[in-house]
Amino acid sequence: MTSTTASAPRASVNVGKLLTRISIVLIAAVVIYWLGRNFLDSPTQFLSVGITGLSNGALYALIALGYTLVYGIIELINFAHGDLFMLGAVFSYFFLTSFLGAEGATPRNYAMLGLTLVLAMVFCATLNVVIERLAYRRLRDAPKLAPLITAVGVSFVLQFIGLKWNGSAPRNFTTVLPQTSFTVAGVVVPWNALAIISLTIPLLLVLVTLVNKTKQGRAMRATAQDKDAARLMGIDVNKTISLVFALGGAMAGAAGLMFAQSVGTVAYNIGFQLGLIAFTSAVLGGVGNLYGAVLGGFLIGVIQGFNDGLPFGPGQKWSQTVVFTILILLMVYKPAGLLGKATTEKV
Amino acid sequence: MSTTNNPVLDAQNISVVFGGLVAVNDVSFTIPEGSIVSLIGPNGAGKTTFFNVLTGLYQPTSGDVIFDGEYITGRAPHKIASGGLARTFQNIRLFGMMTAQENVMVAMHSKMSAGVWSTTFRTKKQKREEAEAKEFAQELLDFVGIGKTTHEYARNLSYGDQRRLEVARALALRPKVVLLDEPTAGMNPNESAAFVEFVRRLRSERGVSVLLIEHDMSVVMQVSERITVLDQGQKIAEGTPSEIKNNPRVIEAYLGKSGSEASQNVN
Amino acid sequence: MAEETKAAAPAHTSSSNTKWAIGFITVVLAIYAINKFYLPTAPVQVKTFFNSWFSLTSMGEIMIYILMALGLNIVVGYAGLLDLGYVAFWALGGYVAGWLMSGHFDQWTVNFFGNPPAGLPNGIHLNFLLVLVLGGVFTAIWGVIIGAPTLRLKSDYLALVTLGFGEIIPQVMVNGEDIGGFNLTNGTKGINPVDNIKLFGYEFGPFALADKFLIYAALAGLMIILSLRLRDGRLGRAWLAIREDELAASMMGVPLMRTKLASYAVGATAGGVGGVAFATLIGGVYAERFNFQVSIIILSMVVLGGMGNVWGVLVGATLLAWVNNTGLVQFGNIINSATGKNIDFPSFNFLIFGVLLILMMLFRREGFLPEARVRLIMHEEEFSEVAVVTDDIEVEGVHHHEHN
Repeated sequence: MTSTTASAPRASVNVGKLLTRISIVLIAAVVIYWLGRNFLDSPTQFLSVGITGLSNGALYALIALGYTLVYGIIELINFAHGDLFMLGAVFSYFFLTSFLGAEGATPRNYAMLGLTLVLAMVFCATLNVVIERLAYRRLRDAPKLAPLITAVGVSFVLQFIGLKWNGSAPRNFTTVLPQTSFTVAGVVVPWNALAIISLTIPLLLVLVTLVNKTKQGRAMRATAQDKDAARLMGIDVNKTISLVFALGGAMAGAAGLMFAQSVGTVAYNIGFQLGLIAFTSAVLGGVGNLYGAVLGGFLIGVIQGFNDGLPFGPGQKWSQTVVFTILILLMVYKPAGLLGKATTEKV
Repeated sequence: MSTTNNPVLDAQNISVVFGGLVAVNDVSFTIPEGSIVSLIGPNGAGKTTFFNVLTGLYQPTSGDVIFDGEYITGRAPHKIASGGLARTFQNIRLFGMMTAQENVMVAMHSKMSAGVWSTTFRTKKQKREEAEAKEFAQELLDFVGIGKTTHEYARNLSYGDQRRLEVARALALRPKVVLLDEPTAGMNPNESAAFVEFVRRLRSERGVSVLLIEHDMSVVMQVSERITVLDQGQKIAEGTPSEIKNNPRVIEAYLGKSGSEASQNVN
Repeated sequence: MAEETKAAAPAHTSSSNTKWAIGFITVVLAIYAINKFYLPTAPVQVKTFFNSWFSLTSMGEIMIYILMALGLNIVVGYAGLLDLGYVAFWALGGYVAGWLMSGHFDQWTVNFFGNPPAGLPNGIHLNFLLVLVLGGVFTAIWGVIIGAPTLRLKSDYLALVTLGFGEIIPQVMVNGEDIGGFNLTNGTKGINPVDNIKLFGYEFGPFALADKFLIYAALAGLMIILSLRLRDGRLGRAWLAIREDELAASMMGVPLMRTKLASYAVGATAGGVGGVAFATLIGGVYAERFNFQVSIIILSMVVLGGMGNVWGVLVGATLLAWVNNTGLVQFGNIINSATGKNIDFPSFNFLIFGVLLILMMLFRREGFLPEARVRLIMHEEEFSEVAVVTDDIEVEGVHHHEHN
């Protein structure tokens, strides 16, 4: 979008821009009124749901990173990524809760939680690499429709695995992370929200450092820009793409575990909607941009938290609608996202 | 066939900047009505960028394009095309999986009117329109000399026939000006010679003005009435073929070190 | 040269169309005749066999799926736009039937050549044919509303927005019980019963399934004609051109937005008409039925049959709709009773459709009955230079298309 600022403005273009501006201002006004009124009505509740929103946002950020990494490198919307996250959640339930019997907050169980976190990350990373190897790699040079449809197919297969593994009904269990909360100046802070935020931030830092500071990270960025040039520079493109899928998968696995531990429920169909929400986060931040995914994840988490938890507003039953409306509005007004770059820079 | 001074296309002070890189710098250029003109220059001189500005693919950073008496700067590409400014592509871009006839008929889209309703119910008007379109498509295919390939898929045509089909498709827009982007690329000398005659027929029989981007100097020199030379985004010379041939700046910038060899080509 | 030229002529000649059309009509009439004239007097075993393997309800459903798959085929197959939220149009069409052909809005009493149940005149009861038209128009409008802002996006973003739309609409229907005190959709309970179809004084009651099947077959037949004719006309050519090379198409005077919108609107209309028809088939509208799976099943039909090929999509839709509504359950029953196990076969839906999509894309992208041209497209490697220039257009195009 920004590229067009270079072109000479015409009268007709200005009318369009004006309409866009007016509608953006209107939307902003509605949002500000909504938040402002809620804040004035009940400031402590406002902050409480904001904290819950942040912890959900941390999970969205982790999942969104998987979308954004993959999109950044092979321009594929990996529809199956949400279901990978679901399998991470199901895996962590079966390993931690069912196999290790870790229920309730004891020191042993915290140690087991740490172990499961690593295993869930390895599990999802491996699965994601295998999927790429078997399905997407063969379609790398095919018309765009083909890998997209394949990803939808993979999503269905993963859901089937989740359905057969977890059963068709949601499973409820006692989590290791405490479901209690404490109060600071009237603001309710759930312990698990705190735990998730403090687990997520190091993960995000590690990932960002990996991509920005290491040799493999450089290879990733080079491959994302131009596969052929990267190949000529001696970069193993296939290996680099596999690594990207592994990283994305690992983040999804971590998010799966944390989701299971924060809500105490797993079901085979959580991946689809959470995946979509996470993708919206990635788009909001600017798909392909790591920081964008994190920013988008937290923003969507907070917006959804406000929508679900505040007394004045659409409320929880419209949660998905609110998120997807954001997605559609974004596509209309700013497809490049908040931190995204316009595509023209390639030319 | 005489050239009038009325420009059918007038590009005024066109500049295109891509993120700090000046691709075209303040180039003015006209196509007089009924003329055959050429745009030449070494690779990367900004010819194709300039072409893309004329056809609405890029918006110029500054400058204006006036076509047939109207400002078309910033107008959508399909409107410029249906307004009578047609083009071919350097790397052939036919609809490979459509027949030659269908390819030509796609370009008649804007001149036809059938919608969902009339097509589904095959109204009289729609049938007549289709029949006329098919007839015109055949006429154009015959004109470019591939009248027997009507029902062949474009991708199955020989390279030369694909180039001809591109011209036929451009003509289906009933254009006033046709822009040909390196039309003789990949042709052998005999074909190129025949092409010179073809461009003249384009003007005499279809009444269009022609703008050529061309590398083959013998073609350019034979067919053009005026030549504009671009180098590194700048217009460095403009004039008749003989003026261009003897312009020292052109010889230096365009023909470069292999000047002697290239000047043989020129003659 | 000339002889070779003739040999390479397109495969979709009118004679092959005629053969397929005769085949379709024959099968439809055979199903009708068997159910109408033979089965009522047939031995019990024969009756049971037909009712369990080829029940009229499932046959009617197949016809409606053909209609909708052909609608999606216009968007995905002809114009090359991936729509993953097609179920939204089905849902919207279904609710049009629910609103205009039932006692749902019992605060009003309207009867326009409709067929209210005896003694229950409240609600809106319009004639079936009128509702079909209104359902189609309503969804076409929605198609334009959702398409206008999104069709200028890159194809994968479009897929996502349509997916979001396909999620929002059912949620609105689920939550629509109380919109500012107004009961729009009756929530998860759904709207039922939807009136029986009544045409020219003849009522297609609950036992007139064979006659009802003919109505749905006729709708599918109309969609076949529409698809075939549109493909060979001005719009069809423009769609195919856009599918192959958007940039070249626009340089040949094809307005991209308007042409894409047209394909979207036609596809949406078919979805809406399918929704109305389906509501009358099952006699109600239920919000939970409109989920993402349905969008994918319909997409699978298009992919399996061969994107763009009308007859291929017809075969794909028939096969998958049957597997989905009858085949899986029946084979499951047989296997379960033979092995003494209790496997939930319908749950294998996910696996079947997922694996089908993957395998088709990996090994047979052109579908099983491909149109010759699609086979070529789907095996062609993308032309990187083209992609770069096209990216450019998509961004710049934003400004152009806003003012069309």
